[in-house]
Amino acid sequence: MRTPEEKLLNPRPGSKIAEAKEFGIDLTLIVSALRKTPQQRIDDLQSVMRFFVELDKAREARVKAK
Amino acid sequence: MIELKEAVTALVDNDVEFVLIGGVAITLHSSAYVTQDLDFCYSRTSANLVRLCAALQQFKPRARGLPAELPFIFDESTLRNGTNFTFSTTIGDIDLLAEVAGVGDYTVAKDKSVDFTIYDRIVKVLDLDALIASKQAANRTKDQLVLPELLALREALDPNSE
Repeated sequence: MRTPEEKLLNPRPGSKIAEAKEFGIDLTLIVSALRKTPQQRIDDLQSVMRFFVELDKAREARVKAK
Repeated sequence: MIELKEAVTALVDNDVEFVLIGGVAITLHSSAYVTQDLDFCYSRTSANLVRLCAALQQFKPRARGLPAELPFIFDESTLRNGTNFTFSTTIGDIDLLAEVAGVGDYTVAKDKSVDFTIYDRIVKVLDLDALIASKQAANRTKDQLVLPELLALREALDPNSE
């Protein structure tokens, strides 16, 4: 029996995993998340949220400067 | 952006009966989906509304989109007079749902939840099957975009899928 990681990295043709890959989902990101603890996943999410806020600030500053 | 630690610890430490749904729940299940707010389904019992107020009052919730010059009171009466709320708070956007599309109310959501430990606290999170059902029921563009990933995740985690 294949592990979740093996299934994600080598999707069986016709599977939902293969469909997701064809849809454009980066399955390696799911593999990476599965290796983490829930706390690490939530910390990563918070970090990405903060990054987006910084991006927004930078974009606004640039618009004001023009 | 929501300050997750502040929001989650306030809810748990005030014994609020809630189940995490939406983007944060999806992230906890190992999706790479990124959200900016916190969504949860809550129990509508009077006692829980009191606890919910106690937990969130400190973050000064206001109905999202309400003009700043208009007054807004956040209390038990506010919660009693509605079911679903979208709040702006001092720690970010928080959405409260009495019922989850495709799933049901808090009692059903609780039955279809799994426990995750975050911030040293146990939090109920809608399970993957129920999250998929809720996304299929809501069927907005943003739901359709996340569904392939959730279906793939469920298949990967299902020991009987191959």
